[in-house]
Amino acid sequence: MDLNFTAEELAFRAEIRSWVAQNLPQDISHKVHNALRLSRDDHQRWAQILGAKGWLGWNWPKAFGGPGWNAVERHLFEEELALAGAPRVIPFGPVMVAPVIMAFGSPEQQQRFLPGIASGQVWWSQGYSEPGSGSDLASLKTRAESVGDHYIVTGQKTWTTLAQHGDWIFCLVRTSNEGKPQTGISFLLIDMKSPGVTVRPIVLLDGEAEVNEVWFDGVKVPAENLVGEENKGWTYAKYLLAHERTNIADVNRAKRELERLKRIAKAEGVYEDQRFRDQIAQLEVDIVALEMMVLRVLSAEKSGKQSLDVAGLLKIRGSEIQQRYSELMMQAAGPYATPFVSDAMEAGWQGDHIGAAHCAPLASTYFNMRKTTIYGGSNEVQRNIVAQTVLG
Amino acid sequence: MDFEFTQDQLSLREAVARWVGKAHGFDRRHGLAKAGGAAREVYGELAELGLTALAVPEAQGGMGFGPVEAMVVMEELGRGLVSAPFAAGALVAPALLAQGETSVGQTWLPRIADGSALVVLAHQERAARYELSRCAAEAVADGQGWQISGHKSVVPAGDEADAFIVPAVLDGSIALFMAARDAKGLQVQAYPTQDGAQAAELRFEKAPAALITREGLKSLEWAQDIAIAALAAEAVGVMDRLVATTIDYLNTRKQFGVALSTFQALRHRVADVKMQLELGRSMSYYATLKLSEPTAQRRRALSQAKIQINQSARFVGQQCVQLHGGIGVTDEYSASHDFKRLTMIEMAWGDTPHHLGQVSQRMQDSAGVFA
Repeated sequence: MDLNFTAEELAFRAEIRSWVAQNLPQDISHKVHNALRLSRDDHQRWAQILGAKGWLGWNWPKAFGGPGWNAVERHLFEEELALAGAPRVIPFGPVMVAPVIMAFGSPEQQQRFLPGIASGQVWWSQGYSEPGSGSDLASLKTRAESVGDHYIVTGQKTWTTLAQHGDWIFCLVRTSNEGKPQTGISFLLIDMKSPGVTVRPIVLLDGEAEVNEVWFDGVKVPAENLVGEENKGWTYAKYLLAHERTNIADVNRAKRELERLKRIAKAEGVYEDQRFRDQIAQLEVDIVALEMMVLRVLSAEKSGKQSLDVAGLLKIRGSEIQQRYSELMMQAAGPYATPFVSDAMEAGWQGDHIGAAHCAPLASTYFNMRKTTIYGGSNEVQRNIVAQTVLG
Repeated sequence: MDFEFTQDQLSLREAVARWVGKAHGFDRRHGLAKAGGAAREVYGELAELGLTALAVPEAQGGMGFGPVEAMVVMEELGRGLVSAPFAAGALVAPALLAQGETSVGQTWLPRIADGSALVVLAHQERAARYELSRCAAEAVADGQGWQISGHKSVVPAGDEADAFIVPAVLDGSIALFMAARDAKGLQVQAYPTQDGAQAAELRFEKAPAALITREGLKSLEWAQDIAIAALAAEAVGVMDRLVATTIDYLNTRKQFGVALSTFQALRHRVADVKMQLELGRSMSYYATLKLSEPTAQRRRALSQAKIQINQSARFVGQQCVQLHGGIGVTDEYSASHDFKRLTMIEMAWGDTPHHLGQVSQRMQDSAGVFA
């Protein structure tokens, strides 16, 4: 047992750190450090900088042009990016659909789609949830009918994150009503510029259009865009979930936000208030404990032994902590958290800030963070999964 | 970055577990508790296994093992709900004596290693709560030696220890002294504790004592951190055991014609219990691995660990009793004993408000978490 990183791991981290310091645009990290609005261009610029270095697919194996890092190296990379104030990489392309294409896609699909994902040129979205299928995802109804050399897709997806920017979308679609709901689902790649695709943004409680409804009205999709076999999509989706792994705890971001919380608490005069300070202390403990749990999972993964049964806990705990720090930041601002001046969340806004500039986004972020215990399998669904592993 | 145990550590774990399986079933624990919590019988068996030599330096007849080995043993003792003052006698006392500036350690350490002597720290005072720097006991020079006077509370192992390590104020600062059980001027009043063990009140009235170190406070802080790491590991073992019992029960016990484990309200509770157990285990590792850090980092880390362990111990203890229903609150069933031991661990060496205060005090502007 050893809590220290090896000399090689430390050298690796130093290399990442210095590269990020030189290559992460400061206007972007300024926005991230201050929770200001990020544009599509911000995301794309950063993705393409990473892509040019070959690091947008940082979790990819060498065979597909990735760096082939182990679990600990991937973690260190993610940590350096988060602490430096890099935007979260939009995961749908490099983290989600790419591993599925690598594992189950045809060589043609791999050649066609992976380069655009690796370079950050193509923005992918994820078409999973439907109005009638949230936690019970397998009940999805969006239908793909096989007609000759293509499918005709009809139905509706919802909660599709940032699909307003999307070039392509990977969808779970129903190709059969036979047997169990899970066995009639296929994994389909759809060009969002196809006729019949309509995207309508949904404004969330923070006033931002972060998610969308996506309609498919008789959309013609070439049969060659089916990943793997027809009716095996559920298996691929589960593989995808397993691939999200530890970063779902987002502990690196939590560390960055803990620093921000302390800055805000100081500026707002509550850092020396013992009752407030103790709550920060508790959050510190919670973050250390989460980080230790993440490191245990990484260590088990790196050693190649059986993975720990704690992975399912990471999403629950990580999301609770995200909510907690955003809550404490809002509380720190007190009455100055109440104004809702949307323009004040824009970098470089020249208007009069109410209280202080750092107060402007706090309540919005707090409201926005309620999503974390809902998306990606609600925390109640996660508890079902944990209970299943514990109780059988 | 590595959380794997070595083959030797796994063998050590197995040896302790084997002894627990053979010699320390719940009936024995129950019997010992009912009989008043005698400490020496089981402690002697641990000595026969060689465990009391674990943390004693090799030069004094010990094995000189490190914190990870101590953690492994404590986890297994917890998993067996073993009633013996092992942390106090075999981990904390040797750590203090090995650091002493005088020859007292040379005298006692070999006897601690072979188990012939049980030495425990007697630091608790009525007005101190968890503040190690508050000490009313006093020492005065007496010819070649010293005499100590004062009242120490809730001292582990009751009146079965052979000697006590006693903090007392000497020339304005805390020093540590060794006082034998049979010292003139020492009165011992033993009593049972909630978890089926024993403790004692010690009243020193000009009792003769030997100086161990004048760096008393620093040593006490070190003792506290060793004890927290040990208790954390023990708590993990007890929680593991309690959770296993609870899962068995939920899968066996039927109500409304089905196993309790089919009810989602209970399943979600089990998921929450599992969460607290694993957070606790993670912070137990953290506590042990941070013992070798420089003082400031070490103390902050151990306080952080104790907070998590306290919270995990309470949650897992309370919820597992609740998940059992009526049988959970009976004396005849092991769950209540696990719960009581977890509760005593929470109350020892700093409760949650105390350590939150410590973490608050030591807070850094940076994230201040592990990196």
